[in-house]
Amino acid sequence: MDSHAATTPLLNFIVDRVNIGIFVINKEMDIILWNHFMETYSGTSAEEALGQNLFKQFPELPSAWLKRKINSVFILKNFAFTSWEQRPYLFKFPHNRPVTGGVDSMRQNCTFLPVIDEKNNEEYVCVTLLDVTDTSIYQNRLEETKQQLAEASNRDGLTGIHNRRYLEDSILKEFARATRYKEALSFIILDIDHFKHVNDDLGHLAGDEVLRRVAEILSATVRDTDILARYGGEEFGIVCPSTRLEGAMMLAERVRTSIATTLILYDEKPVPITISLGVAQFNNDIDSYEKLINQADTALYQSKEKGRNCATYYIKDD
Amino acid sequence: MSIAPLTEDQRDALQEVLNIAMGQAGNSLARILDAFVELSVPRIRFVEVSMVTSTIEEFVPCSGEVTAVRQAFFDDLRGEALIIFDQNGCQDIADLMGYDDHLDVQAQQELLLDVSNVLVGAILNGVTNTLGTHLSYSAPSIMAERTLLNQIITPENVPWTHSALLEVNYSLKDRDFRSHLLLFMAEEAIEALRKAVDDFVESF
Repeated sequence: MDSHAATTPLLNFIVDRVNIGIFVINKEMDIILWNHFMETYSGTSAEEALGQNLFKQFPELPSAWLKRKINSVFILKNFAFTSWEQRPYLFKFPHNRPVTGGVDSMRQNCTFLPVIDEKNNEEYVCVTLLDVTDTSIYQNRLEETKQQLAEASNRDGLTGIHNRRYLEDSILKEFARATRYKEALSFIILDIDHFKHVNDDLGHLAGDEVLRRVAEILSATVRDTDILARYGGEEFGIVCPSTRLEGAMMLAERVRTSIATTLILYDEKPVPITISLGVAQFNNDIDSYEKLINQADTALYQSKEKGRNCATYYIKDD
Repeated sequence: MSIAPLTEDQRDALQEVLNIAMGQAGNSLARILDAFVELSVPRIRFVEVSMVTSTIEEFVPCSGEVTAVRQAFFDDLRGEALIIFDQNGCQDIADLMGYDDHLDVQAQQELLLDVSNVLVGAILNGVTNTLGTHLSYSAPSIMAERTLLNQIITPENVPWTHSALLEVNYSLKDRDFRSHLLLFMAEEAIEALRKAVDDFVESF
């Protein structure tokens, strides 16, 4: 028995029914094969598609790019590819996950295969279209989770504002930018006055509540461009990009007033809270971001010396 | 395992095959890109894994950051192609490949993959036509973006000790575009290459 003759109908059946989009075009870009998958998802039957020009039948295809791509396959007799990660789809098809999808249409990986019919001396390009919607959804979820992890690692668990790690990353970046573009940059460090008393007299739960409330008030008071973080213990830092000393002092004073005048309650009883602040501005003498933090720290120490509940800026003592 | 490098005759034959392939590749690329493509004389080396980074640095004289695409090929010959782009010139070929003026990140990546696929296909098809062999290809993917050249390959993670390394570089006339193609055929794949070259020589 002629095995060729026996397998040909099988092959035809498989090409038509396999769960992969398969179509073939000739050099005139006329469709000469259009399998069942393509029929189902495009809504265009093989009868309608065969013999039609691909770009006339599907005017929504990106023709300039796709013609080049197909031509490169004809000229080089080479494979070509598209991946969903760069081009989500070739044909905008619905996918089979209307409930669990989260993407608007079928994601596709396509392969362009040169086909040479030596008997008739004809050349074609066969395009296969693989539904990779599932893969793309998992990949997107993975990316989201990675982002959430990165975000979580930048947050302080107790107060929900940024943590010291993020503050140091930010100040490093802003420091580099200020140095490169000769822009202003200020840094404020602040500390809750007599925080130890709150913990000792009212307990650590009260201390935690005070820290949360202070963080809330600070978040509501700083400007959108400022970067606020819990620096450690009862210390907070504020990076102020494009801000000179005068501006930073105004912000420090505003922050001090908001904390001093907002009623903070624990167990329905008011807990009087004030803060002390130190402010430093970036200048040409400062060659590292640590130095900027140190200068703000020195100013904070002076605020404490002066009797607390005040803001002081750093002055070079020479 | 120990792999003997190609004999001098085999190397000469391979060099000849590559030279013929380059001619065909330049011709095909010119038709696809509507631009004159200048191709270098291909270079052939046999490298040990310890030498791979320094050899790449010798072949690709580029001090800044690079972007690299990889693509596997298999069948009669087997190996992996690396296409290295310096950061200039990508926009310059966008219009040649049928892209719109403005390229977002995805479109830039796709352009690099498209161009890489065409460059790899042009050379390797030239080689297979000359040798009378067949090849298939996997989809190309981006292996490094804006990375220093000496960091694109981590020799500790390379699973071979010896490889044949073929290098070609491309530039477009009157345009600010240059890229390097490195073909690695490692270990047993060297034997396949040797056999293909021997068969080619015998066919005369």
